[in-house]
Amino acid sequence: MSNLQPTAASRGLACCHLCLKLVSQATHRCPRCGSTIHSRKANSLERTLALLMTATILYIPANLLPIMITDQLGQSIESTIVGGVILLLDMGSIAIALVIFAASVIIPLTKLALLYYLCWSVRRGPPETVRQRTAIYRVIEFIGKWSMIDVFVVAILVALINLSNLLVIRPGPAALAFAGVVILSMVAAESFDPRLMWDRQETIDE
Amino acid sequence: MVSRNKRREVSFSTDQRGLTVATEREANGANPQRSSPDGLACRSCDLIFDVSMLRDGESANCTRCGGFLSRYTANQFEQVAAVSLAALVLLGLGCSYPFILLKFNGLESAMTLPQVSLSLISHGMPVLSFCVAGFIIVIPAVVLLLLLAMTGAIVTDRHYRWLPWVGRVIFTLKSWSMVEVFFLGVLVSLVKVSRMATVEMGVAFWAYAAFSVLFVLAMSGLDRAQSWRRIEWLGQ
Ligand SMILES: [Zn+2]
Ligand SMILES: [Zn+2]
Repeated sequence: MSNLQPTAASRGLACCHLCLKLVSQATHRCPRCGSTIHSRKANSLERTLALLMTATILYIPANLLPIMITDQLGQSIESTIVGGVILLLDMGSIAIALVIFAASVIIPLTKLALLYYLCWSVRRGPPETVRQRTAIYRVIEFIGKWSMIDVFVVAILVALINLSNLLVIRPGPAALAFAGVVILSMVAAESFDPRLMWDRQETIDE
Repeated sequence: MVSRNKRREVSFSTDQRGLTVATEREANGANPQRSSPDGLACRSCDLIFDVSMLRDGESANCTRCGGFLSRYTANQFEQVAAVSLAALVLLGLGCSYPFILLKFNGLESAMTLPQVSLSLISHGMPVLSFCVAGFIIVIPAVVLLLLLAMTGAIVTDRHYRWLPWVGRVIFTLKSWSMVEVFFLGVLVSLVKVSRMATVEMGVAFWAYAAFSVLFVLAMSGLDRAQSWRRIEWLGQ
């Protein structure tokens, strides 16, 4: 099969990550766009794992600290991400509660877990699932930024609800921590190189 | 993925050079550079394909992992230029008029789009303010401006020395815009606030809504492989 459909690496070629031009692996700069050429993303696994771990650690303060503080008539009420979801459920906004819960809890946790799994699978994953794992990677890449909803909601409420002494909403430190989680896990997904999974597949085939 | 044209899967075969090429060869809606074969490797599994034989409206996916390779649309750059220009105007409107108006116990306040970012600075969060501004205003605006420059050069068949640089910035930045995510955030906020106060959507709300649709259209209409083939072709 590898004779019929060659990979770039098997022909000594590399595909520019930015403009997709096929050049010799010995090339340093892409002649078409000027980007640095790497046959595979540099230190992909190490970088992805380091970013993943930082994101995982940051996810703890993002959930424990308040994301939003409401000052109403001299009284301060702090709410966390999950606390905000429970409050929405109590108020009967089930649809909105589900959106926030999916974006702030399910998506980031699933994304982190799946990226750990993909990193592990590069060396030890079952070869027959490589196509499915590639599909998982594409879903992770697409879904990452949707976690940012809650941070945007806080930013909008802070800007919108600023009624002198009556009612003021302030952002809590978890907003910054959670934005960090989303950005770091997006960079982690970008650092992961799915071609590493196929490279191992090919050494098994031969 | 938006395409008003017919979409067909292209079958691949291996030619004498060992490159996998699309087999369709009729001159219908011909790609101007179809005579120059141009290989690219699948970004997910590294398999080599030649996408220079794609016809108008056709898209190609990797035969091994299913990953998207390229789509050829004959008037892609005219479309993207027009949509980008309209989106840029709407973003300008979205930034300069009231976005949401709030009425609560006889008090009134209005929020503009830049305030979503700026009010975070006054609460001691400059880093978050910077990120929010980048994701919803600055990155989309820069991408659209550069996209106008790039598509303008391609449509008028002119080469400029800055063209590869512009292309590089566009394709680096485009995955960092969160226009559609922000708009969902706006809708969630509206539902939340409408439980305790009267909210009204301002002119900027509608402008930004239209802007986000056009922005997503422009981004999905822009094909990486075809853009770079054109940039390279202009430079020759
Ligand atoms: Zn390049
Ligand atoms: Zn592939």
